[in-house]
Amino acid sequence: MSEEVRDDLKYTETHEWLKITDTAAQIGITDHAQSELTDIVFVELPEVGKEVKKGDELCVVESVKSVSEIYAPISGRISRVNEKLEDSPETINESPYDDGWLVELEITDNSEINTLLDADSYKKTM
Amino acid sequence: MVLKSPLYKVHEELGARFTEFAGFEMPIQFSSIKDEHIAVRKSVGLFDVSHMSNVWIIGKYAEKLISLTTVEEASKIDVGKSQYTEILRENGTVIDDTIFMHLKKGKYMIIPNAGMNEIITNWLKDKAEEHNLDVKIEDVSREYVILAVQGPKSRDTLQKLTDTDLKSIGFFACQYIDIAGANCIISHTGYTGELGFELQITPSEKAKDVFYKIMEAGKEFDIKPIGLGARDTLRLEKCFILAGNEFEGGRTPLEATLGWTVNWDHDFIGKDALLKQKEKGDFERLTKLKCMGKGIPRHGCEIQKDGKTVGKVTSGTLSPCLGIGIAMAYVHPDYRKVGDKLDILIRGKPIEAEVVKPPFVDKEWAQSN
Repeated sequence: MSEEVRDDLKYTETHEWLKITDTAAQIGITDHAQSELTDIVFVELPEVGKEVKKGDELCVVESVKSVSEIYAPISGRISRVNEKLEDSPETINESPYDDGWLVELEITDNSEINTLLDADSYKKTM
Repeated sequence: MVLKSPLYKVHEELGARFTEFAGFEMPIQFSSIKDEHIAVRKSVGLFDVSHMSNVWIIGKYAEKLISLTTVEEASKIDVGKSQYTEILRENGTVIDDTIFMHLKKGKYMIIPNAGMNEIITNWLKDKAEEHNLDVKIEDVSREYVILAVQGPKSRDTLQKLTDTDLKSIGFFACQYIDIAGANCIISHTGYTGELGFELQITPSEKAKDVFYKIMEAGKEFDIKPIGLGARDTLRLEKCFILAGNEFEGGRTPLEATLGWTVNWDHDFIGKDALLKQKEKGDFERLTKLKCMGKGIPRHGCEIQKDGKTVGKVTSGTLSPCLGIGIAMAYVHPDYRKVGDKLDILIRGKPIEAEVVKPPFVDKEWAQSN
């Protein structure tokens, strides 16, 4: 099985991806993460407007057998959540980098971006 | 030490993901828990359950020993019959639940749970000695591979591999059989609530061939290898006990709503304690809960009524057939009538759930879905 890693995204060692545009970041879990979790059957999303610090719990993704907490890779204010996932959590399995995104953040500390991995460095962690 | 099934390599070849369960590294899933689950409900699946134990109880007093150490009166179980029962401590709590197979007069095989073989073997030996019962008790767990073929197409699949008419083997019947070129023990039992059979195969080297032959015979029904993940969701939809969860911390058959398995007309270890508990009546009982709101209950979740704790979840999952959260939980006797509404605390948030009659998924599900 070949797992996709996209060149235009930033990553964390814990298998989240971030699409960074100016002051905002869209966040999801990587192809590798969805494949490890297997069938995702439930997603608990945060409330829009909530402030999170890097390392805070961002959301919860559950498969039939497991519960996984997703932690904020950077600090920010939640500006959007992917509500579609509440009815179709399997979208994360089907499209981890596009339709299966989790949340969008307004970035509060730009310096934290430097702590993220680029695609090549992320590939090396796997 | 982590033990592996003799079929470990076969599972690897089939692309299994593994998990550790009761000291064994076993497949948790091959394709997807949901797909495997539905395959068993609608067609057929093949499970390797070699992590379960096999213990022989043989001799003139074998029947007496089983009657003494289980809630069943063994004399009621004829040759050729299997029986589900529990082995209790003096205080009435369950050491293990098990099936025993009466294969020949005075010859029984019991199937304790994974990792329970030594505990049960020693317990039975001790009790035989204490009561002067001359019985041969032999732990042969590592000599057997156990395969379970489960699902509405299980009989059609296995029938291709044997001359014995499988329709002649009734529910909870057992016998020796030649199947797929191996002589093994077959029992019309299972842990899925579907039509199904369990095979005890020895020597275990033969089992690989049997496994592949069953997969081949089931091809026309899209047979799937099934991991422990779907085994758990299948049993939970039918409200079957998982010993490690539902007996955790010491529970009696009455608490576990297994009173129907107790034969009160004989003396057995733990009976006095059960009688006392029955008389008192004020004990928590295993309760089946269906979530009304979104959320998946898990082992350890608290149950509340109007903010007051009234119970705890022992097993919970998302039901692959129903698409909703289901749970079994020990609940205070005042709050467990069918239709009662309770809250299950999931990550601190109350999710409303309703007490329902077991099972969560009935026989008709596969026909209407």
